[in-house]
Amino acid sequence: MDNFEPKIIGFYCSWSSQMGVDSAGLEGASYPPNLRLIRVMCSGSVDPEVIIQAFKKGADGVLILGCHLGNCHYRNGNYSALRRFRLLQKTLEQFGLERERLRLEWVSVAEGKRFAGLVGEMTERLRRLGPLKQLS
Amino acid sequence: MGKLKFALYWGAACGGCDVAVVDTHEKLLDIAAAADILFWPIAMDFKYHDVEEIADKHVDVCLFSGAVRNSENEHVAHLLRQKSKVMVAFGACAQLGGIPGLANEKRRQEILDYVYHGSPSTVSQKGVYPQETTSVPEGELRLPKFYDTVMTLDQVVDVDYYLPGCPPESARILEVVEAIVTGNLPPKGAVVGALDKALCDSCPRKREEKKVKAFYRPQEILFDLERCFLEQGLICLGPATRGGCSDPPRCIRSNMPCEGCYGPPPDVTDQGAKMLSAVGSIIDSQDPSEIKKVIDGIVDPLGTFYRFGLPASALRKKRFA
Amino acid sequence: MKTISIDPITRLEGHGKIEIFLNDQGDVENAYFQVPELRGFEVFCLGRPVEVLPRIVPRICGV
Repeated sequence: MDNFEPKIIGFYCSWSSQMGVDSAGLEGASYPPNLRLIRVMCSGSVDPEVIIQAFKKGADGVLILGCHLGNCHYRNGNYSALRRFRLLQKTLEQFGLERERLRLEWVSVAEGKRFAGLVGEMTERLRRLGPLKQLS
Repeated sequence: MGKLKFALYWGAACGGCDVAVVDTHEKLLDIAAAADILFWPIAMDFKYHDVEEIADKHVDVCLFSGAVRNSENEHVAHLLRQKSKVMVAFGACAQLGGIPGLANEKRRQEILDYVYHGSPSTVSQKGVYPQETTSVPEGELRLPKFYDTVMTLDQVVDVDYYLPGCPPESARILEVVEAIVTGNLPPKGAVVGALDKALCDSCPRKREEKKVKAFYRPQEILFDLERCFLEQGLICLGPATRGGCSDPPRCIRSNMPCEGCYGPPPDVTDQGAKMLSAVGSIIDSQDPSEIKKVIDGIVDPLGTFYRFGLPASALRKKRFA
Repeated sequence: MKTISIDPITRLEGHGKIEIFLNDQGDVENAYFQVPELRGFEVFCLGRPVEVLPRIVPRICGV
C-alpha cells in the first residue's frame, strides 16, 4: 500500500522493558517512529479494554512489553499479562484482526537491539498488511 | 396533568420487549390510565403516516426496542426522535445491538446468499434476491436497504435513557414508568431500571476463591448449585454485567450463568474486553503451555463475551479482508 | 391506478407491509405482501457451540 505508515501503540513496563528500550537508545539501535510508546507500571496492568480502545481509535498494531517470566518486578504481573493476552488474541482472531497486529514481548535491559529489531519487523509486516479497517 | 403520550416501536426485534410491557398484567391498566399510546405496532393499528402527522415533541416518551439493521429501522428511529421528548433505548437490542448484533460477525452478502439461496430448506427457483426497488406491472414496490452493520439506537439518534434487559423485567418497566410519571428520572444518558454495580454484587452464590484450572461447557460437568459459576470453570458474565435485573438474578436462580444481557457496568466501555480480562485473570497457571491449554477450552470467545453487545463494542464488527 | 398502502401491518410479531393496486373500476388488480426485515439467525448461529443455541434462538420471536 503506497505511503501507508502503520501506527503502533506500545505499552511498556517501567522495569525491564523500560531499561530495554533505553538500551536501544544508548546502543544506537534505531527503530521506526511508527511506534508510539506509552509507559505503564507493569505489563499486567494493561487492560484488554485499553488495547481494544487503541485499535478502535486508529492503531494498526499494539505491542505490549514486559519483564521476562520469573523476573516481573511485581512477581506475577507478567503472568497476568500473558493469560489475558492469549485470550484476547483468540478473541481478536474472531474479529478478523490479523495475528501480527497484537504482540506481547518480554524485553530485558540487555535486549536493546532485539527490541529495536522487533519493532522494525512489526512495522514492516503491518506496512504490508495495510491499515486496520475502520468503520465509516 | 394530562395523560402521558407514549410511542413504542421495534427495529430488528423479536417482540419480547413489547411482551414485557404486556406482562405487567393488570398493572398495564394503570399504565393505560396514565398513558395515551400513539403508536405500538404489536398491539395497536396505527400506521407510519399517523406518526408522520404527530407534531414534533408531542410524544412524551418513546420506548424503542430492537437494533438498527436496515434503512427502515433507521428512518423510523429518526422520525420518532423528532416526534418525542424522551427517547428510551428499550431492551438489549436497542441499547447494545442484542442477539441480532451477532450478525456483525458475518458478511452482509453471506447472510443474503444463505437465507435466499443456500439454506437447505430454501427453494429458490428464480434465484432472486430482495431488491430495494422492484418494478411490477402495477407500479413500484420498495423494501428498505439491508445494512452492512447492525447498529445500536444511539449510533443513529440521540438517546435519553437506556432500559436494559433481554427482555427488560416487567417490574423494572413499571418502576421506570412510575419515575417518568412522577418526574423522577435521573440525568440524561442514564441506564434506568438497573443498579450501578456489577451483577456479582447481588448474586446469592457462595464465593470462595477464583483459581481456575480449566473452563468447561455447562454440559461437560456436574456443577455445585450453590457456588459461583466462574470458580467452577463455567463462564458467567456477572463481573462485567450491570446488576439490577431481578433479586435474586433470574438466570442465576435458574442455574444458568449470566449471559450479560444487561450490558456493561458503569465506566466500562467494552463489556467483552472487560469480561475476557476477568476470565484471563483467574486462570491458575504460570506455565505458558498450560495457559494455552486452558484457553483452548474456551470455545467461541466472541459469541460468549459479546453475545449481546457486539454492535456496542469498541470494534463493533468483524473485519473482513 | 390507485394504491392502498398498509404500512406497517400490526398486531402480530414482525414487520410487514401490503401494497394493494386498484384498477379504474376500484377492484383489486393486484396485492403484494412484503417483508421488510431480515436478521440472519440462520447464518450467525452457524459455528456457535450447540449449548448456546437454546439461548439464542428464543430471540427469533419473543412472543
